[in-house]
Amino acid sequence: MRYGDFTTYDLLLLAQGLGVTVGLFLVTSLIGLVIGVLWGVVRFYRIPLLTPLITFIAELLKNSPVLVQLFLVFFGFPAFFHLNVTPVQAAIVTLSANTAAFIYVIAVSAIESVGREQIDAARAFGLSRWQVLRHVIAPQAAAFSIGPLTALLVNQLQVTSLISVIGVMDLAKIGATLNLRTLKPFIVWAVVGLLYYLTAKLIAAAGARYETRLRRFSEFRGL
Amino acid sequence: MLKVENVKKAFGAATVLDGVNLTVSPGEVVSILGSSGSGKSTLIRCINGLEKLNGGRIVIDDFDVAKPKELAEARKRSATVFQLFNLYPHMTTLQNIALAPVEVLKRPRAEVEQEARALLASVGLSDKVDAYPAHLSGGQRQRVGICRALAMKPRYLLLDEVTSALDPEMTAEVLAILAKLAREGTTMLFVTHEVDFARQISNRIVFLDKGVLLVDLPTKKFFAASGGLAQPRIAQFLSKMKKD
Ligand SMILES: Nc1ncnc2c1ncn2[C@@H]1O[C@H](COP(=O)(O)OP(=O)(O)OP(=O)(O)O)[C@@H](O)[C@H]1O
Ligand SMILES: [Mg+2]
Repeated sequence: MRYGDFTTYDLLLLAQGLGVTVGLFLVTSLIGLVIGVLWGVVRFYRIPLLTPLITFIAELLKNSPVLVQLFLVFFGFPAFFHLNVTPVQAAIVTLSANTAAFIYVIAVSAIESVGREQIDAARAFGLSRWQVLRHVIAPQAAAFSIGPLTALLVNQLQVTSLISVIGVMDLAKIGATLNLRTLKPFIVWAVVGLLYYLTAKLIAAAGARYETRLRRFSEFRGL
Repeated sequence: MLKVENVKKAFGAATVLDGVNLTVSPGEVVSILGSSGSGKSTLIRCINGLEKLNGGRIVIDDFDVAKPKELAEARKRSATVFQLFNLYPHMTTLQNIALAPVEVLKRPRAEVEQEARALLASVGLSDKVDAYPAHLSGGQRQRVGICRALAMKPRYLLLDEVTSALDPEMTAEVLAILAKLAREGTTMLFVTHEVDFARQISNRIVFLDKGVLLVDLPTKKFFAASGGLAQPRIAQFLSKMKKD
């Protein structure tokens, strides 16, 4: 066996890379979801100062490349504030914040898509703002947003591959390593691409299933 | 007692309610008539606290709707049925009805749901307990809207043109329910274009014209030549209504 041949150990490496990618994806999506929804709630309550601040941060995050954000967090902030930041920490912070910004946008439009007249009815019946949010707005906003949310998450999965450039051993980084050793880019990148594709499909399928459940009340059953 | 005292409401430069006075006592059915844009819906929305007043006062059993602390109590005493139903589309009929009694009145869910089923049965909707609003007809939706309001056991039932989005047949089925409620002594403040129906069930009729309450008369007197009909605006309104 020559140095450049594939070995069964490579499969293990790929599995490990996939694990890192999926793990970081899940963690950052969850953090992003919590923060993004929280920002949406802050906006719903129209909390002064905080609302414009959040909108501003979200705008910054949405309108600059993730790669630049990643470099800023990994190289820029540590240099400026004399911090120690590991690649995984930088990846988590950057991806979570970026996901949060886009989830905020989805949350805001989902909240606003709930009919004013239902909110009026609930308020007239004496429900508090929080009760209206929890019982009237949230379930419908969740149903509205599951489609865009699935699309966003599929995209964010692909975005995770950027973190390989700061040395996180994710699926893309493992691909690069294997490629360097075997010099068989076609096979390596096809396999890596397929793994991303299958994971994305899994996310999309989960989203679609969840959507059917959340939208069972809807009149719309397709054309 | 539900008291509207010298209430003023403006949207920007447009004055929509201009010093309205109105009292509804328990057991009374009071109908509000008036042409489109006269401020009827706005008056209802002021009473249930959805609009801020620009002047005057509204008190429901001594609770002032303009005071945040008292508004919650005021709202427990009135319940609104809306022109376009305003049901929660993601909830079944039963959930629509149970939401406020459980969340606002803090009553036990099992008890509330049992009452909700009885209410639905009383309006002929026993088989729609678990249906979503999207799968109901307009008349059925409004019957759910009425049940949702009644489930709060309100002292004052506010109804804003509850049949104007319905065809004649559905209108009849909803009016039959309201007539029964009136016979049972439910206190109602009833905005409507159904003049004949208002005449049958109301103790009093008030007429709003461009935000001003023109008359407030016992029903008989309102329709008498020497009473409401003596006012040209009202005579004109009633004759126009007859033609439609
Ligand atoms: N939120 C609002 N902003 C601005 N103007 C409003 C608003 N709500 C109502 N108006 C205006 O106030 C006036 C009274 O409206 P309102 O809905 O109370 O009339 P109405 O008597 O209920 O009429 P209809 O019989 O057509 O329902 C109208 O001229 C309307 O355009
Ligand atoms: Mg109206």
